[in-house]
Amino acid sequence: MANPEHPTEPSTPAGGAGTAAPRKAVVIGGNRIPFARTGGAYAHSSNQDMLTSALDGLVARFGLQHERIGEVAAGAVLKHSRDFNLTREAVLGSALAGDTPAYDIQQACATGLETVVSMVNKIKLGQIESAIAGGVDTASDAPIAVSEGLRQVLLNLSRAKTMKDKLTAAAKLRPKDLAPEAPTTGEPRTGLSMGEHQALTTAHWNITREAQDELAMASHRNLAAAYERGFFDDLITPYRGLAKDSNMRADSSMEKLAKLSPVFGRSLDQPATMTAGNSTPLTDGASTVLLGSEDYARGHDLPILADVVDAEAAAVDFVHGKEGLLMAPVYAAPRLLARNGLKLEDFDFYEIHEAFAGTVLSAIAAWEDEEFCRTRLGLDGALGTIDRSKLNVNGSSLAAGHPFAATGGRIVASLAKTLHEAGSGRGLISICAAGGQGVVAILEAR
Amino acid sequence: MKLDHVPSLPGLYGTAVAAAARDRVFRKQAAEQLPWVRHEVDRVPVDVGELTRYQHLLGEPARDCLPSGFIHALAFPVAMSVMTADDFPLPLLGMIHLRNQVEHYRTVLFSERLDISAWPRNMAAHRSGTQVEMVVEVRSSAELVWRGVSTYLAKGVHLPGLDEAPEENPPRSGFAPPVPTAKWRLGADTGRAYAAVSGDFNPIHLSAITAKALGMRASIAHGMYLASRALATARPEGVEAFSWDIDFAAPVFLPATVALSVRGPEGTRHGGTGAGSGTEYVGWNPRSGRKHFSGSVTPLPH
Repeated sequence: MANPEHPTEPSTPAGGAGTAAPRKAVVIGGNRIPFARTGGAYAHSSNQDMLTSALDGLVARFGLQHERIGEVAAGAVLKHSRDFNLTREAVLGSALAGDTPAYDIQQACATGLETVVSMVNKIKLGQIESAIAGGVDTASDAPIAVSEGLRQVLLNLSRAKTMKDKLTAAAKLRPKDLAPEAPTTGEPRTGLSMGEHQALTTAHWNITREAQDELAMASHRNLAAAYERGFFDDLITPYRGLAKDSNMRADSSMEKLAKLSPVFGRSLDQPATMTAGNSTPLTDGASTVLLGSEDYARGHDLPILADVVDAEAAAVDFVHGKEGLLMAPVYAAPRLLARNGLKLEDFDFYEIHEAFAGTVLSAIAAWEDEEFCRTRLGLDGALGTIDRSKLNVNGSSLAAGHPFAATGGRIVASLAKTLHEAGSGRGLISICAAGGQGVVAILEAR
Repeated sequence: MKLDHVPSLPGLYGTAVAAAARDRVFRKQAAEQLPWVRHEVDRVPVDVGELTRYQHLLGEPARDCLPSGFIHALAFPVAMSVMTADDFPLPLLGMIHLRNQVEHYRTVLFSERLDISAWPRNMAAHRSGTQVEMVVEVRSSAELVWRGVSTYLAKGVHLPGLDEAPEENPPRSGFAPPVPTAKWRLGADTGRAYAAVSGDFNPIHLSAITAKALGMRASIAHGMYLASRALATARPEGVEAFSWDIDFAAPVFLPATVALSVRGPEGTRHGGTGAGSGTEYVGWNPRSGRKHFSGSVTPLPH
């Protein structure tokens, strides 16, 4: 970059037509704790415990003790009601200065990426100089709610003023009201689990069992190789005795994956193809990303790994069967590419979150489908093809696991480091989320 | 006939049970024609607490406007009052709900006082009994805001004087289940839960025991519960005036899993869901592939 202070060159990427480009926001680095399969090493750790630990590792790595950061944004998908200020509480418990403001975000599995996007936007606007984005989730320490019946009785009791009112309210309690309610991965409007939804999309795009197993195997091998060459040494801090993601199977093979029985899509006409091997398991974990203006990074003698260029969110109507639940990134990507004057082939790395192998392969198939791209995406022809050797090169969620809100931070930090190691190039991130949503983003090497 | 208030449904069911017992004892000759009556109740208020409970059970956001199925439930006792009167020729107990056709002309707020009127029409022979339509109209300050036609079948009741029903069975078009867009898991208490918010305590919906007493092998879900839940999903957002219909096929025995498919008229094609495009829906048993119901929602021109 010619002018590190305030670049005045005319807008290309993020500025929008006719306006001067805002200043850049860069990824300085990241830190996460290893992801653990639910019920494992972090079975008794809360969201706040894990987020604080991930923050502490980031603080230690970049010497941020007692430093006031511009703002910290993080979130969790499965959240206790007592965790209303989860991120601020984690900051208070961390080594960061106590006068660091923080807030929570929740956009299902896109939470982590959305925290990065909103922090980056504040940096670009000059509102803050530094920021930490992050996310955490635990399915082990999940909130259990009292039943709706008991909840209504308790609320009515608290509103009752006289003894008679109280007795009337308490008398409404029924034995079945004492059964608790645990959170589910079911979509509220359809009652289908995320896996059942994806099974419909996987079948629609005729994605084979073999193709899904191949993607899963590549994810495990790429992640294991990345650990092997020390790629995660400055991206991960061990926690609770875990130094690597506990879901990773370095010795995964097509034979082993082929032995697993299908778990989703068993009631469809087509053979069921989705197994525990090519679907992500429930996972616990936390991730953080340190972001800043170029001035901040240079002024604090911190590395600059990548620019966060631009991002786009999309949503699809899955309730009326118009599109698959996890297909929103397919719609977000062409809008993002058009705004930035880029083609799908203009990237050196693709990070497509592996909610299920079928999700990744359905997205790729859709972008390659001329008819789909013309009629659904409004393009002239197919969006393009992805060179599979550039896809999820250091492994993704099938191997690492997927603690919902922590996945975005994992991907942003890993891709920024990958780009920086390559020395040049561009990366595309695509993350699908519950509610038919998705967020995509572009990073550029520094 | 003006009623001074909306009759209570348990009371009407009591009347129906008494009538059934009396007819059995005295072998009373039933009337053979529909009575020329219209039962009316004016300025019916809506209890906002009941509305909220209804909305939460059916998956509707608790807005201030009334779901179409809620208006049906509100007006249903007036139709029942016609059907349980002495001059009504068909026995109420054991009647089967065949279909519903509703025009919902505008947003109706809970604060409005509603004038409800109900009358029967089109009694006709059906291959397995006699069917009749109940028309219900709901007005607010003289403006027609909602109109529903429910078709019921009195199974095994054949009245003289009605044209012979076509003997041959209608073509049983083979139902091929489409790709589901949703799955409902209905517990054994689904009928009781809907009865609590709708007031429809028909014993065939309440428990296996009360249903068996009326010859059912298990309790069945209220047709209007299924219709209202489907409508909560299928009604295109932002459409305030619409017509909808539902045809009931195999009953839903509780507990049950019901697969649902909701589709815009453009099928899987890309397109908006705003005004001008309706939706179609169908529900079926994912195990047996038997159809439970099907219907559509169509925006009305303003």
